Amino acid sequence: MNKKIKSSLAVVSAAALAFGIASVPTASAAAKTYTIGYQGPLSGGEASTGIDEQNAVKYAIKLFEAKNPSIKIKLVSIDDQGDPAVAGTVAPGVASNKNVLGVVGPAYSGATIASLPYYKSVNMALISPSATRVSLTDPTSPDFGGPIFHRVVGKDDLQGPALAKYATAGVSAAKVFVFDDQSAYAVPLRGFVEAGLKKVSGATLVGGDSVPNTTTDFSPTIAKIKTSGATVVIYTGYYSQAAVFIKQLRDSGSKAVFAGGDGVFNQEFPKLAGAAAEGSKVTGVGGLAGVDKKMEADFVKKMGVSSGVYSVESFDAANILLSGIKAGKTTRSAMLAYVNAYKGKSISGNTIKFDANGDISYGLFAGFTTKNGVLVNTGIIK
Amino acid sequence: MFAVLIDQFWSLTIAGIALGFIYVLISLGYTMVYGVLRMINFANSEIFMWGTFGTVITSRDIFHYTQTSEPAKGAKLVLVLVTSLLMSMLVAGLTAVFVEFVAYRRLRMKGTNRLATLISAIGISIALQEIMRLLTNSRPVGAPRVLEKIILTEVWGANIRLDTVITIIAAALIFFVLERFIKLSRMGKAIRAVSQNEDAAKLMGVNLNRVITTTFLVGGLATGAAGFFYITVFEYTKFNIGFTMGMAAFTAAVLGGIGNIRGAFFGGLSLGLLEVYASAVLGTQWKAVTVFIVLVLVLLFKPNGLFGEAVQTTRA
Repeated sequence: MNKKIKSSLAVVSAAALAFGIASVPTASAAAKTYTIGYQGPLSGGEASTGIDEQNAVKYAIKLFEAKNPSIKIKLVSIDDQGDPAVAGTVAPGVASNKNVLGVVGPAYSGATIASLPYYKSVNMALISPSATRVSLTDPTSPDFGGPIFHRVVGKDDLQGPALAKYATAGVSAAKVFVFDDQSAYAVPLRGFVEAGLKKVSGATLVGGDSVPNTTTDFSPTIAKIKTSGATVVIYTGYYSQAAVFIKQLRDSGSKAVFAGGDGVFNQEFPKLAGAAAEGSKVTGVGGLAGVDKKMEADFVKKMGVSSGVYSVESFDAANILLSGIKAGKTTRSAMLAYVNAYKGKSISGNTIKFDANGDISYGLFAGFTTKNGVLVNTGIIK
Repeated sequence: MFAVLIDQFWSLTIAGIALGFIYVLISLGYTMVYGVLRMINFANSEIFMWGTFGTVITSRDIFHYTQTSEPAKGAKLVLVLVTSLLMSMLVAGLTAVFVEFVAYRRLRMKGTNRLATLISAIGISIALQEIMRLLTNSRPVGAPRVLEKIILTEVWGANIRLDTVITIIAAALIFFVLERFIKLSRMGKAIRAVSQNEDAAKLMGVNLNRVITTTFLVGGLATGAAGFFYITVFEYTKFNIGFTMGMAAFTAAVLGGIGNIRGAFFGGLSLGLLEVYASAVLGTQWKAVTVFIVLVLVLLFKPNGLFGEAVQTTRA
């Protein structure tokens, strides 16, 4: 029995070691190998977001290696499942793996906060493509990620008002019902939406709800919407729940305008919801196709799938680290200094330059409306 | 605070009853196994999740319905719905038998501690979930709309919709068929005999293995039927939906008295109604809190649940 326990322990520790070993460079004589990481949900319920993002990072590496044959890039996949508890257990291993020069990610705000202490202690540069929680770049908050945390995505305090504006556009004297999915992403965003609504003339907030993100029966929320007489319903949460909800809302006979934030921004949303999603409004930042159709075609050719959520941001973030490697910043502190001083172009055409807290200067959100089963870009919300 | 409840009372009630019946069927999967083995089948939540895919596969891959195709009508509609129901029951029933075979029987044969099977059941439920996650690439799966959600009539301001009516009637029917099966059939008697006294039943010539397999099968069939109704009403599934629904159904089973089939019935219905009322009055964020407060209160005064424990109490 004891022997069995011992041998199983050996297997476990071997597996733990393998993580470290996996990122040891296997350089050929000609090309030098450098390592960067991607951290996000690669398994579990949020895995599709992480897989989309990591694909964009892989794509950026492919393009980079084709242009720079003397450099090989090794990507370490860091799977935090989007879960702070998991992030706290995987981040120490990455921090102690000396080869990792910088990380694209973490994808989610909660997981970022849980990982920060480990990365701060080793000066690891982080560039998140999708962690939008405001407190991450607020120096007065305990969640503050400076000086190592950066993001190439707009914050929720910009998104909230944009969403409020976009949702109520064209609805006179809008009566708005706002509800969230209780996640760390959705609750603050709901606050920013409600704050933004006050600046929309004629719009009034008539009610709200907070629905666990595992809910599939939305009848109580729909009952509240009907009682409140809302003409606009805004949901801060993710696309899969939004699809379930919008079907039930339409089945109940309600014709209220439905709008959601970037969590709903996913082409799977109209696919899941079918005809019920028609006319739904979503804020988000597009896939590669919204920026460059040729690049999207090339992406499909090289990666075998189309680009997904936050692919522009993930691509941009990876490119910053890659250009650092090309510039010879091959220690963590050199890389961090490089990222902090970085100035360059996003593939969206904007200029990427981080302020002292790690935010970029832009972060305009585009409005998307479902037409014939596809979310169509209607331009930046002004 | 109560404006919503007063304004939308009948809509909420109907939704709560439909949800309740789905809980009833899933909780049968827990209650049957508990009644016979005195063990919680933790894999039942995943059996339910696999059951939902039975319906999706039938409508999407066998009958080639898509998100954009027209809902079925007439005889075709009945055919697709009945095939989907049977398919879900089949998938879940076989999964349940598989779970029994892999996670329970082998350990039982070796005479291991009962807790060991509890762990192996958790193990297989994780495996079932992860297999489905890999098969679906972690993505949610939308089910095509086969049944048009026609509003049949309006009663006291509430829309009576076809899908909820079908769910309520068919689920009730399935429940009563199973209940009769346990009560009247020879196999049902054997199940109850094993539930009352395993050794005595064995001495009377009851084939223990067959009884246990049948129990899992019947529980799985009921859980699979729940999967069909779930898809018909919500048209959505994902590899991780089992947990929430399983937890709720397990709560329903405990509320009614686990091991008791009638308990599962009233437990499921009360839970469905309680959930929608609590969500409407207090806000959906208080749903789980209210449910568990009620559960604790019930268990405080009736430690075996509303209707007491064990399958044998359903005898005539």
